[in-house]
Amino acid sequence: MKETVEDKMLKELFRRKLENAEVTPSAEAGAKLMSRLSGREFLRFNPSRFNIWYAGTIAVAGAVLALVLTNHKEESSTIATPPVQKEQAATVISQNPMAETVQVKSEPGAKSTSSSLKITGKIIKSEAGKIVKPDGKELIPGNNTGGTHTSVNEANLIKGSIGDNKSVSGLNHKYVSLSAASVTEGCAPLKVSFKNLSAVYDSCRWTFGDGGSSVEKNPVWIYDVPGEYKVTLTITGSGGQVSASSLNVTVHGHPDARFEFTPVNAVLPSDEISFHNYSGDAVSYRWDFGDGTSSELFEPNHIYSKAGKFTVKMVAVSDFGCTDSVMVKNAFAGTGNYINFPNAFVPNLNGPSNGTYSQKIDETAQIFHPVSSGVSEYQLKIFSRRGILIFESNDVNIGWDGYLNGQLCEAGVYIWKSRGTFLNGETFTRMGDITLLKY
Amino acid sequence: MVSDQEIIEGCAKHERKAQQMLYDRYSRFLLGICVRYASDKAEAEDILQDSFLKIFFNIKDYSGTGSFIGWLRKVTVNTAITNYHKNLKYRYHVEIEEFVSAETGTVSFEEDFFTSDELYMVLNELPAGYRMVFNLYAVEGYKHKEIAKMLGIDTNTSKSQYSRAKAVIRDKIAKLEQLKKSYPVDSKEFVETKES
Repeated sequence: MKETVEDKMLKELFRRKLENAEVTPSAEAGAKLMSRLSGREFLRFNPSRFNIWYAGTIAVAGAVLALVLTNHKEESSTIATPPVQKEQAATVISQNPMAETVQVKSEPGAKSTSSSLKITGKIIKSEAGKIVKPDGKELIPGNNTGGTHTSVNEANLIKGSIGDNKSVSGLNHKYVSLSAASVTEGCAPLKVSFKNLSAVYDSCRWTFGDGGSSVEKNPVWIYDVPGEYKVTLTITGSGGQVSASSLNVTVHGHPDARFEFTPVNAVLPSDEISFHNYSGDAVSYRWDFGDGTSSELFEPNHIYSKAGKFTVKMVAVSDFGCTDSVMVKNAFAGTGNYINFPNAFVPNLNGPSNGTYSQKIDETAQIFHPVSSGVSEYQLKIFSRRGILIFESNDVNIGWDGYLNGQLCEAGVYIWKSRGTFLNGETFTRMGDITLLKY
Repeated sequence: MVSDQEIIEGCAKHERKAQQMLYDRYSRFLLGICVRYASDKAEAEDILQDSFLKIFFNIKDYSGTGSFIGWLRKVTVNTAITNYHKNLKYRYHVEIEEFVSAETGTVSFEEDFFTSDELYMVLNELPAGYRMVFNLYAVEGYKHKEIAKMLGIDTNTSKSQYSRAKAVIRDKIAKLEQLKKSYPVDSKEFVETKES
């Protein structure tokens, strides 16, 4: 017969689970066993009791013989009975080691004369003193009415234990409960779904170890505070049996993720961004720069290949694996992109230039141009006060030198309008006036 | 802590204290075996008592060389077999289980999914013959040949009973698994309210 994997698993399931499983026996079973045992022990042919037995037997024999002899002359009818009594006692000894339970009470039933009964009573009384005492059951040898005292008492004990074994009947397992949790270790706030895996029970109660409890079968509990919690499931069976099962839940705290970056008003893609890590309780970090690249360094530097809307995300991971994340949306927009126009300039009287300028060099403001950062598309138009277009530029690096067709324009106020887009896609429209000054 | 050896010696002298200690120490373990072989706990406790009487009176048979637990287990299993034979005459009527090998898909047999109580119940519900063979083969680890000898049946009977027992158990386990998986975790319907 070929054994499949499933067969093997089934076999293993039962073997692992039940080979050494324990079931607590009912108190009745123990008591019953002990009384059966004492019955057996009582009848066992014990060398240590040998002398008493035989002394007793000899005493009986002697007494009977004496009685027989004394009674012989008076009542001939009773002569026959004492030996019969003796014989019955003997059969008790030889029979009972084979018997399952002690059922000796009926043995000395043959009543003959009052005199013989007295004698047997005496014998068994001596046995009673010797044997029943280790059992812990005190016998009162005083009120025995006949030789059956000891054995009747034994029988009663057995009967008693049989009598109150109500709960023995039927399937009466100890309800070993089995509790399960969706997670037993995790990060705060930890939501744990508990499951009562017992199939049969009457009522159950969960205590969650943080002061909370529930009588739901499968409760859900949220632990906010890091710590170790002992969760106990107490199950009450239909018979009042109580069993408990417990498990531990460990809740770990979070790290604290924080970072900054410089330069604050970075211009992409030209500037290299430096990230500064201020996280706490963390052992590893994952950076997502938002442009598809990432890093696991503590403090990475990054150069963006193009400008755009980037969301930088950093995840700090604790030694257990709990995470905290922080995210800066649109990290390099709004701060790095700007365009501002002056309201006056002084053209170079020596003649027109090509309008190029450098933001650093043009300190004398000979060219009208914006101060800007992150501009990608750009258009600037300048009109005379009568509405005539006198200058147009589509390059943010080319401004107006104050000349029109080689002629210096008149001093005065001119109107300008500029529109365009920043590198992040944001559009801008600006307009204003500019005063041309002549010195 | 009294050692096993001291208890064994005490039991050999029929000391009541030693016998009580032996019972206290091993009754749970041995009842765990008995329950597998019985149809209910009452029967299991009967087997347990018979086993202990055998143990107490035959403790001298324990050689002292092998594992004591192993010896106890053996005595108990043998007692269970005796009990099975004794009750056999009352068990001429054995229910034929329906072999609705339901399309339950794969049965996981996940160890931690079932309580030992549930597995006991599965065994308890088996017909006695199946139960004997399954226990002896799967849990106790005897060979079919040995089982046949112990139960006084044919080796092939042992094999076929085992495979039928397996099918019934598989079915029961699958049903149990489905039942247990259907317990909702979040549902309020299953709130057990404790009326005071």
